[in-house]
Amino acid sequence: MMPKRSLVGILMLLMCVPIFSWAQSKTVTGKITDASNGTPVAGASVTAKGSKAGTSSKADGSFSLTVPAATATLTVSGVGFESQQVPLAADVIVVALKASAANLNEVVVIGYGTQRRKDVTGAITKVNAEKLTSIAAPSFEAALQGKAPGVQVIQGSGLAGSGSVIRIRGIASISAGADPLYVIDGIPVIADAFLRSNSGGMNQNPLASINPNDIESVEILKDAAAAGIYGSRGSNGVILITTKRGKSGKPSYNYNNKIGISTYANKPDFVSGQEWLQLRQEAWENDGNTGKAPLPGGLTWDQAKNNNTDWWDELTRTGFINEHSLSMTQGNKLVKSFIGATYSDNQSYLKNNSYTRLGLRTNFDFTITPKFKANVSLAYNRGINKRVPAAWAGGLGDAMSTALPIYPIYNNDKTWFTGGSNPVRRLNETLWRNTDHRLIGGLNLDYEVIKNLNLRVSGSYDYLSGIDDQWESSNWINDTQKPGIAKRSPYRGKNWVASGTANYNWSPNDDNRFTFLAGIEFQEKSFINRVYVEKNSDKPFYKNKSLYEHALDSIKNTTTPINGPAYNAETFASVFGRVNYVYKERYALQASVRRDGSSKFGPNKKYGVFPTISAGWTISQEEFMKDLTFINFLKLRASYGLTGNSNLLAGRYYYTYYAGSLYNNQSTWYPGNIGNPDLGWEETTNTDLAIEFAVLNSRITGELAYYHKKTADLLLNTAVSPSNSFGDFSRNVEGGKILNQGIELSLNAKLINKKELTFSIGGNIAKNYNELISLGGLSADAAGGGSNDTRVVTGYPVGTNYLVRYYGVDPADGLPIWYDKAGKLTKTFSLDNRMPVGSVVPDFIGGLNHNLSYKGFDFSSLWTFTIGGNIYDGSGKRQAGVITDWTIRRDQLDRWREPGDVAKFPRLTMNTGTYAGLSSEWQYNSTMFLYDASYVRLRELSLGYRFSAQSLSKLHLRGARIFVTGMNLLTFTKYPGGDPEIARDFENATDRNLSPNITYLTPPQQKSWVVGINVTF
Amino acid sequence: MKKAIYIALLGCAALSAASCNKFLERKPAGALTEDEALKNDADLQALINGAYTDYSNKVYSGKLQWVEDLLGDQANGALYTGDDGEIFKRKTSIFGDYKNGLYTDVYRPAYIGNKVLDNITKATAAKNELEGQAYFLRALSHFDATRLWSQPWGFSTDNSHSSIVLRMKSTVTPGERSTLKAVYESIIADLKKAETLLGDQLTLGNANKWAAKAFLARVYFLQNDFANAYAYADQVIKSKKFQLDASYANRFSVGLSKEIIFGFKFIDNNLYPGAELRNRYRSDVGFSAQGRFHVTSIFYAAATTAGDVRGTAWYSNTLQAGFNVLTKYNKNNFDVPVFGLTEMKLIRAEAGAETNADKATVLADINDILTRAYGGASKNLPDAAVAATIISTARRERELELVGEGNRTLEIKRIGARTGINIDRRGARWNCPGLVLQFPISEQAANASFQMNQEGGCD
Repeated sequence: MMPKRSLVGILMLLMCVPIFSWAQSKTVTGKITDASNGTPVAGASVTAKGSKAGTSSKADGSFSLTVPAATATLTVSGVGFESQQVPLAADVIVVALKASAANLNEVVVIGYGTQRRKDVTGAITKVNAEKLTSIAAPSFEAALQGKAPGVQVIQGSGLAGSGSVIRIRGIASISAGADPLYVIDGIPVIADAFLRSNSGGMNQNPLASINPNDIESVEILKDAAAAGIYGSRGSNGVILITTKRGKSGKPSYNYNNKIGISTYANKPDFVSGQEWLQLRQEAWENDGNTGKAPLPGGLTWDQAKNNNTDWWDELTRTGFINEHSLSMTQGNKLVKSFIGATYSDNQSYLKNNSYTRLGLRTNFDFTITPKFKANVSLAYNRGINKRVPAAWAGGLGDAMSTALPIYPIYNNDKTWFTGGSNPVRRLNETLWRNTDHRLIGGLNLDYEVIKNLNLRVSGSYDYLSGIDDQWESSNWINDTQKPGIAKRSPYRGKNWVASGTANYNWSPNDDNRFTFLAGIEFQEKSFINRVYVEKNSDKPFYKNKSLYEHALDSIKNTTTPINGPAYNAETFASVFGRVNYVYKERYALQASVRRDGSSKFGPNKKYGVFPTISAGWTISQEEFMKDLTFINFLKLRASYGLTGNSNLLAGRYYYTYYAGSLYNNQSTWYPGNIGNPDLGWEETTNTDLAIEFAVLNSRITGELAYYHKKTADLLLNTAVSPSNSFGDFSRNVEGGKILNQGIELSLNAKLINKKELTFSIGGNIAKNYNELISLGGLSADAAGGGSNDTRVVTGYPVGTNYLVRYYGVDPADGLPIWYDKAGKLTKTFSLDNRMPVGSVVPDFIGGLNHNLSYKGFDFSSLWTFTIGGNIYDGSGKRQAGVITDWTIRRDQLDRWREPGDVAKFPRLTMNTGTYAGLSSEWQYNSTMFLYDASYVRLRELSLGYRFSAQSLSKLHLRGARIFVTGMNLLTFTKYPGGDPEIARDFENATDRNLSPNITYLTPPQQKSWVVGINVTF
Repeated sequence: MKKAIYIALLGCAALSAASCNKFLERKPAGALTEDEALKNDADLQALINGAYTDYSNKVYSGKLQWVEDLLGDQANGALYTGDDGEIFKRKTSIFGDYKNGLYTDVYRPAYIGNKVLDNITKATAAKNELEGQAYFLRALSHFDATRLWSQPWGFSTDNSHSSIVLRMKSTVTPGERSTLKAVYESIIADLKKAETLLGDQLTLGNANKWAAKAFLARVYFLQNDFANAYAYADQVIKSKKFQLDASYANRFSVGLSKEIIFGFKFIDNNLYPGAELRNRYRSDVGFSAQGRFHVTSIFYAAATTAGDVRGTAWYSNTLQAGFNVLTKYNKNNFDVPVFGLTEMKLIRAEAGAETNADKATVLADINDILTRAYGGASKNLPDAAVAATIISTARRERELELVGEGNRTLEIKRIGARTGINIDRRGARWNCPGLVLQFPISEQAANASFQMNQEGGCD
């Protein structure tokens, strides 16, 4: 895989090669192979030393290059190989490249450019394409889990298209978004998790429509040196996505597919109808009542006894996964092109829930003149997410809560049971679909003004059209007069970036190399809602397009505008610069600065300046290391700098007023927002120190990094005295500070490295220490994660479980015993006794992988884990103790029943008053429902076979591999409530920051098996 | 060449500063800035109109009344759960979205009032009217907050107990509680300014001089300051601008009531007052015993004695089998009174009896109420009725007249403070902690030293 080879080639040439001479020339041909196994190396760069001439090897490793007659040496380099200086002794040259230590010449994409791995002074983790498409993840970002040290990826849930919460080196915000910046081919794309707020128990994921098969590589920028060039948007880290581009040579095609099945990774276990009735009766009698307990749902005991509905079974299935992807690449002197198309249909294990992706991408790189190049990228993606409600919104959430096993699906007369929750009725009587159309396009024009000075002008456009279609049957709306109701609410997002950069390479001599970058950039992003339409219809609008058009036409004849005004509009205007200096190929220095102005910042804080400085020292190049032959590579890296987080809501600094409907036939004004001219970004001071190494013939490679990030000017929009009559007011808290510091270690060991047999293991582990150092003296309740009982407590991590401590059950009377604040036991529950008792932030995260290959076979696995941290089961309080109309999890049967019982849960009751001090079942916020969040999961397991070139040649194929891959096959956890990997639906950024690991009827992750084939021809 | 590059790089600066600044300004959709929105009399009135609308939709919609009635002793709340159950059981906590949301909404008129006062220099012809309404709104917020979140007048001998947060400025600051004495002084001062500034033109939905006076009568009455309560009720009644409705169907009707001194007016496509009253009290549509008002048998018996016209006008024990429901709000739309003549009459009667005021006036007041209630003079008090009888009759009739209007809890507290007697039929002390709602935790979140109300219910 050759990332952005064309661009890289140009840059490398410009950097390294002196003046070209058109004197006499000769043609050299040759072949480049991999020294370890003799296979051809495609895409290796071949340049004539002392001249500008260069080419790259074809798929069969061959190359042909015209060089000045005086040329004595060729430089051959390839990604993953050490460069070689080859004397031009013959006209036909055969070069066997040796694998390089830690891919020193690997090209890494950085902000506004690329660098060789060994010149990089920042913390950048690169994840290649094949690692992103190995599993049937709901969205490409979920596939990053366990693959990059210090990058926590929590996949949302088992819902199709579900997004992930990604935290790079911890969490440093309370009310501002803490998700990384996603940049695809230079454009920061729309990635907001709240575009459709929280609907149906899921935050719709705008990234899900991105086609993973288009991606060449993902670079994760983690420290100031790497992310600082993104200025006020760099603090949360940056995920740079580079799409595939055309390669030189004849057309080459690739087809791959995956076909498989999906089910749930974990299933919570609920009691049967009979058991539920017994528990209800037990609670009734515990409360001193006699006779039969009253039942919910209008059922008699006899009716209830006859039902034992397994709602989970009724709502789930074995999902079918079906993916096909075809791409073509070719290149000649004028143009290189990549064209790719994808169709994939991923059904989740929930009935009626799937994500269907259709993608088409064309990337063209034109060389118009040697000095003038242009590249055009255009991708269209369509994602159709067939939705079902989940969690609090119903569906499987009902099966885990209010859909009792004693409820039937149908009444005796075969009509739907409507006396209580009936998610099967909803499944059959409603339809819901989200359709995203996404267009991402970009044009870059490069011109070499003078030698080594390149100007680039870029324009990119990211367009997202989201359509929410819902349909409800006449049965569902209880109106037989109507055929049903179709509803549609569309929105559109527009996002453009225009930038100009100048890049100058200056090498005064062989020992000194400078690269200067300067640029300006403008970005604007905004959204528009199209009018909401609701019409009587026996089918949804997407099956009744004429009805929708007709409805729109009739609205056009009214005063109602079709499109609303632009909302959440935001702009950035930036200038930036960067200088890189490399001395003697071993000392690298980098300084960068960016100045950002944004429409999100108040007039008193309109522009922020974000400087960074960093250095790298490749010690292994030093003379004094020559004797330490077991060390192949050793580099120290350090960086320091400022980054910002401008992930605040748009338009918050204004005092705003809105016109409302008439009052007594007079006009009205309503205050909208409390303005704040001082509103600005959050600022993080970053330090990064790292050591990169390769030892024992580069058999063992790794990196150890330490980082320290202190974030100030924390944004807060809560903790506003409600007697101001406002619940939210955005401001930067004076003195507010969050610390993240940690250590990341990644190691890879090639245990066996023979021609036919290789075996390597690798892994990474990261420890992040997170602490809210100060919040300007505000108390724990200053910010909370929705209804999730997580808080901000000074001295504790962001997202601290703040609960009343549960001691246990009094064996004498079965009543709960609590700790008060001082640690004394009490039987009176009080929210005043809430304490910081846990955290949603794990102590360690990481992944472990192995790769075994023998002849054509490959066998690999990836285990991911988190150690430490807590899970809080927010729905537990409705399922244990106070028996209401909720179903009961089996682990909660461990309850007190008679004097002397030693049990985990208190006596059952139907009256909250039984537990002294408890005001309602919703306020039962205690450690009774707090669990250890540690888990280990077999995230990926894959077995493949690559057919040999000989066997394929008859079929005119260049390569073919078949494979079978499983995802989330095994999970080891102490959590009894189902899946331990939880990123529930969130209400807002604060909730998202504080409440991963809090479950509220969250559907467990998907487990899947796929078989597939990957053919190149 | 390099020059050209630098020019390009500093493009933003090189362009006119104005256009660059404009690029960095993106107002929220449809919003106006303060400078654009608040310019003149009409704008300030529009701001006040927004506050009226909000108060009608979010507080007097029925939320305030419902919370008061949950705390009271007329509702049969055995089946209430969640937030309703917590309030009914008189053990509210720092959480609870229903009451916490109400708290925020109660304070909106104070914010708007302060905002208008901050901008009053922009007013011209309507300056007095606007300023008067601003003071009236601020008093309304503070008074309604004390109803639910403060122990009443008389809880401590000098009323120095911590009460609610007074909001006298529009700037966003952490909350600090004031003493009840200071709160009442502020409310009275605001209302007296409103009384002077406001005109006497009657437009239902807008505060006027009489609304301020009626408000003052109620405030003084709750302080058991009978002389002032009498004086202000007297002014309102003597204005003859309001008449008792002959029919009980008219108090909650569209445009039929002649009693309303201040309230919210139903206008189709403008304002639909009383949504939460219909949602919480209505007994003909959507009734459920778990979430709606129905009264105890004891109260039902007391409210439906033979000959009581209100018994048949306002109650049913057959509409929903097994439940004693209210029919007062069984309508799709109605105006919602906040201050009415019935209350003024009852204040003047009781305050007059307490202060030995003109007996004929006092008797006429209570007998007007009785005559209407019993369809004639049969239950009227005789001329010889002693003050104690007048007082007890006025209190009984107040409970019956104002059922479902959130009045009972005020009386439990006021009478307790006045006499030391606990009239609560659920047996609670008038000054027990549970009769006061707990503040939202966000007050403490914004101000760590904010003292929350005492919890511990009323057992």
